[in-house]
Amino acid sequence: MSKLNRREFLKQSGIASAVLAATPGVAYSQVVGGGGPFNDYKALVCVFLFGGNDSFNLIVPRSNAEYTVYAQARQNLAVLQNDLLPIVPAVPDVVEYGLHPSAGGLQTLFQSGAAAFVSNVGPLIEPTTKEQFFNRSVALPPQLFSHNDQQDQWQSLKGKAQSNTGWAGRMADLIRTNVAGQQMATNASLFGNNLLQSADETIAYVMGPGGPLQFEGFPTDPNDPFYEQRLAFQRILDADHASIYARGFADIQRRAIESADTVSAAIASVGNLQTVFPQSQLGQQLETVAKLIAARDQLSMQRQIFFVAAGGFDSHDNQNEDQPGLLGGISEGIRAFYDATVELQVSDRVTTFTQSDFGRTLTSNGDGTDHAWGGNQLVVGDSVFGQRMYGSYPLLAIDGPEDVGGGRMIPSTSADQFAATLAKWFGIEDADLNIVAPNIDNFVQRDLGFML
Amino acid sequence: MQSLRLISIIVTMALAFAGCGGGSGEGGGTSPPGPPPPPVSKAEAFRFLNQASFGATEAEADVVITMGIEGWIDEQMSKPPSLQLPHMQSLGPPPIGPFEYQKDRVDIWIRNALHGEDQLRQRVAFALSEIFVVSQLGALVGQPWGLADYYDTLVENAFGNYRDLMEDVTLHPSMGVYLSMLGNEKPNPALNIRPDENFARELMQLFSIGLVELHPDGSVKLDSNHQPIPTYDQAIIEGFAHVYTGWSYVGFADLRNAFPTYLNQVEPMQLYPDYHDTGPKQLLDGVVLAAGQPGEQDLADALDNIFNHPNVGPFVAIRLIQRLTTSNPSPGYVQRVANVFDDNGAGERGDLGAVVKAILMDPEARPAIPMEIDGKVKEPLLRLTQLWRAFDAQSDSGRYSFEFAYVVLGQGPLQSPSVFNFFSPFYAPPGEIRDSSLVAPELQIATEYQNTFVTNWMFYQTFFFNWLADRNLAMINDETILINFEEEAAIADDAVALVDRIADKLLAGQISDTLRNETIGMVDLIPADQALARAAEAIYLVVTSPEYAHQR
Repeated sequence: MSKLNRREFLKQSGIASAVLAATPGVAYSQVVGGGGPFNDYKALVCVFLFGGNDSFNLIVPRSNAEYTVYAQARQNLAVLQNDLLPIVPAVPDVVEYGLHPSAGGLQTLFQSGAAAFVSNVGPLIEPTTKEQFFNRSVALPPQLFSHNDQQDQWQSLKGKAQSNTGWAGRMADLIRTNVAGQQMATNASLFGNNLLQSADETIAYVMGPGGPLQFEGFPTDPNDPFYEQRLAFQRILDADHASIYARGFADIQRRAIESADTVSAAIASVGNLQTVFPQSQLGQQLETVAKLIAARDQLSMQRQIFFVAAGGFDSHDNQNEDQPGLLGGISEGIRAFYDATVELQVSDRVTTFTQSDFGRTLTSNGDGTDHAWGGNQLVVGDSVFGQRMYGSYPLLAIDGPEDVGGGRMIPSTSADQFAATLAKWFGIEDADLNIVAPNIDNFVQRDLGFML
Repeated sequence: MQSLRLISIIVTMALAFAGCGGGSGEGGGTSPPGPPPPPVSKAEAFRFLNQASFGATEAEADVVITMGIEGWIDEQMSKPPSLQLPHMQSLGPPPIGPFEYQKDRVDIWIRNALHGEDQLRQRVAFALSEIFVVSQLGALVGQPWGLADYYDTLVENAFGNYRDLMEDVTLHPSMGVYLSMLGNEKPNPALNIRPDENFARELMQLFSIGLVELHPDGSVKLDSNHQPIPTYDQAIIEGFAHVYTGWSYVGFADLRNAFPTYLNQVEPMQLYPDYHDTGPKQLLDGVVLAAGQPGEQDLADALDNIFNHPNVGPFVAIRLIQRLTTSNPSPGYVQRVANVFDDNGAGERGDLGAVVKAILMDPEARPAIPMEIDGKVKEPLLRLTQLWRAFDAQSDSGRYSFEFAYVVLGQGPLQSPSVFNFFSPFYAPPGEIRDSSLVAPELQIATEYQNTFVTNWMFYQTFFFNWLADRNLAMINDETILINFEEEAAIADDAVALVDRIADKLLAGQISDTLRNETIGMVDLIPADQALARAAEAIYLVVTSPEYAHQR
């Protein structure tokens, strides 16, 4: 880079970035291509609702008797009966249900058959009744009602065992030889590190809500005068570092450099989608996921698990003011994402589901709710056997048959069953389901039936 | 242009995130006369200052070498605290939206971090802010004065007593808002209303005792079935939730009419007795508070009950050790510090000044023979403040504009995404650290994405900001923080001298052969007459290196 002045340096580095962004499919390390036994593409998208979503205000009984019980329990937090958006299952139930008035997008998805709801699901080691809970005659997940511990339970399904891996991470490990040609990790997060995607053998790739960032001043073209900077930087990373922390740091930098250019180029090559996404953190993440799915062939992807998230669900305060925005945000984001998968003609290849720390107390602390246990979750996509509710919707009575106090519902369906049903669709062999969902053998129903 | 895109990402993401003084502040006492302190090398002084300040500098290392480590600690503990609220109040009552003043809050935080004489106090306060977490991301975005005062509370209590700190934090309206104790009312069974459990739970789980019983060395106690023993259950949380009823902003006739003002957000909360539950309350260790006690008495008894739990010593020891010196302390190190927490030698429990001193003076913090698990990953904010301090960072206006620290670095002062801090004390990244049953909390936010963000920021900090005559092109204004490397530029024609000088300044000369040779090689590729570019290149490669990211 002998004759460069500072202005030219900047210009060249800028040009290099622009050229790079327009160059699709820059190959990286030992890509073998051809793929494994999978002859199709499938993706799971986890929408994690951080803080603990009050999902008994998302899906609410509309029938008079059940609504009265609900309203008695929830008092000033109850959604008005007439405001509920009716949902009509394909096979009518004796009890009618409705959605929070902000969830019009989900109502549409449900009625079109693209969405199903799983009622009162949560972490369990084995089936648990109220009596068993109080006399401690069954194993229970540790540290119920604690945020980080119950996030860990949903993501790891490990019960009392040490949980260094998550169920999506274990799925990626199980299929790693099947997807050896992929140019990106099976697990990708757009919302930071998470236990769900953590694994023993494979490492999740973390990008930002709009995709990866590229390194400034690191061109990939060997003729670029600043190519040497990239090489020097990499040699510094690759040196023998005396400290275990320096090595851990270098590993992350190395992965960042390996993937940033390839993945950024793939996203850039897709261009804009017709589908309009909401202007929110979740909307931006889901739009990026849609673009990555659109670029799947370019990256030789066969199986992908995406982690996106929204925060703010820990509604100890101001719940009535905040809930429309929170639930509306999920509804609009997931609806737009489903529309994008239709636009990309992959709506039967992509399944979106929610998880959250826990449900919330039916009782109020004045203007909000506290940490509870079971809650309702969504599953969306054209491989979902939709317009149906799965599991067992509880009687929302304080001190009712499923309440362990203050309106904390014991889950009637386990997070293991929920995960195993998704894993089976994803292509995990039945014999391996207990690796994904370690407690699945404790439950009679291994498959909840919500996937076609 | 990619960098323009980056700035737009910062702004977009920042917009998308839309979350009392007291204490003794007395010094740590003087040591009894004894043999003179052992001589301290420059490398040892750097290691120490990266544990005890916002980044080692050669000037401060000289002070440490002169005074000895214990002498420096004692001197630091006697320095008056650098505070934030006086600066915030000097700006006058708000003519603009309160959230605009978060920028000023971060500005004064940076000033104190870079230039405060009370470096040790500031560093410990930052560590405490990662335990007693409140955040501007959320409802408190509108209370920058409250947050400044909350931080001052941590600063003033940094060497005080943990029990006082617990109480000052509990009654601070910023914490009241953040964990919803403020406005929390006694039960109303007719409406199925019971007290809010948020603060009750997190004060125990995150600020004092944790979820499971600990041995004094920090290891987890197991029952006869080899299972951890929970420290509390739901009934105890509900007991404490009833204690924390009846408190809100000071100065109103009725709790339900209380609202935040410019003035009351910096005053301790007030009890409104009509809203305080008067029933008996289940606490830890079988203690039950008698019915009918005044709310202040309930609170004092409840905080005493938690403070005297045997977990507090090891709990606090592990967290402060992890923030200051090493991610993976031995059980012995934890126990030595926990013992000082339990008794400072004068019969006092909870003396934080003594605890800090014990952490920094412990042989494990100052190992003679280096081991590969010594130290920790430097927090990204500290990587930046060290660079800023070493190269005398200034802006033209004197202000430090970096309010989007949490977007660029994944962390910033009182900018955590939740009460669980930027990272967990237990985070173990995949690979040899996890395989060795070790942890590296800071690596939880060192994702591929965030690391690239930080690395690029270092690129701007070294190249763009200092190097481009055209300020529009460099995207800087009179509040942009610029490092000064004129001294290095003056010797930049000699690549070896340049790199060695920078290694002295940032690494006390302890630079690996690879980093040194690669950096010299890159500098030599830039024409000798481009002094600023050569210096920028050298600083960039050093501050983005894995060895700089390691706090020894």
